[in-house]
Amino acid sequence: MRSARLGFAAGFVLALVAAGAAMDDTASPQTPSWVTPLPVAKISVKSGKPAKLELRFKVADGYHINSNQPGSELLIPTKLQLNPPTDIGVGSITYPKGHDLTLAIAPDQPLNVYSGGFTITAKVSAMRTASPGKYKVHGQLKYQACNDRSCFPPKLAPVDFEVQVLKRTSASGTAHNPAQSPHAHN
Amino acid sequence: MNRNAIVIIVVMAAVALMLFAGVRMARPRAGVVKLSPVGKNGSVAPDFELQSLDGKPMRLSDFRGKAVLLNFWATWCAPCKIEMPWFVDLQKQYASQGLQVIGVAMDDSGEEAIAKFAKQMAVNYPVLIGKEAVGDAYGGVEFLPTTFIIDRQGKVVDRVFGLVSRSEFEDGIKKALGGATPAAQASAKEPAR
Repeated sequence: MRSARLGFAAGFVLALVAAGAAMDDTASPQTPSWVTPLPVAKISVKSGKPAKLELRFKVADGYHINSNQPGSELLIPTKLQLNPPTDIGVGSITYPKGHDLTLAIAPDQPLNVYSGGFTITAKVSAMRTASPGKYKVHGQLKYQACNDRSCFPPKLAPVDFEVQVLKRTSASGTAHNPAQSPHAHN
Repeated sequence: MNRNAIVIIVVMAAVALMLFAGVRMARPRAGVVKLSPVGKNGSVAPDFELQSLDGKPMRLSDFRGKAVLLNFWATWCAPCKIEMPWFVDLQKQYASQGLQVIGVAMDDSGEEAIAKFAKQMAVNYPVLIGKEAVGDAYGGVEFLPTTFIIDRQGKVVDRVFGLVSRSEFEDGIKKALGGATPAAQASAKEPAR
């Protein structure tokens, strides 16, 4: 009898955990996403030596988003905004060229869009003051998605990645001391 | 642990799994928008008051007795741009029979940008500055364009989600106008502008 009660209690707890997990997933307002950021490969930088960052995104099948240069001031361009920590710099953000898309219902009004997958590149650098270690960079991709008949309000897709700042080394391969020669690599 | 306890755990685990799966499956999938029954065909179109581009308040009920094509749109919506010239033409063509097209701009680009866009598109019907609450009253306008065709009695006769052909809009307009009764036509009043 005691075992049955134990079994019931264990099952009840299991049910509560499952329900909680499912509910937690729906607690925040769920709006569909049309762009998914793909995992970012680990990026390592040394002070004074910027590294290339590649951010890859997937657009849901059957949808497209405006490119960064959609060709009309009224259309909302795809734009990446990154907020790196103080010791990390992100610059030279380069967007791919979009492709022209003509809707069957309006063949004379082509749109410049991204669909399928696309990659945005940037250069990541570490300040001289940066201590070796891992730094998290957060940001967001603003986009506006449509399919061939409808458009959806602009959305923000979160973008997060980690930068590993490596120890600076001098020409002889020993650790560099910035306090002694702060302008050595200018 | 005896056999009963194992059976109970298995049953509870199955219930938990079903609960988990059920809750997850009830969520809308990416790209699939669940539509609320509000604003469905045959229901009375919810009344609202919104500000027009010239700053005056305008209510849907101001147009009672007319057939109304209520178009939710935005300046950033390419398909909306395609259908707007059709609405301009349809307004010209059917105004004398009692059609009133109303545009509701659902973007936050500001009144000036909306007015500029409407002028570029030679819009000949009232454009109102939309509010989310009005979209919600119509079942949540989750994508654009979304159009409701409302008959002279204020009932929704057609809901159009996304871009369709001009002729489909025209069919809906004819349906909305066709519901006219002489009394309703006689009581059709001019909107307060």
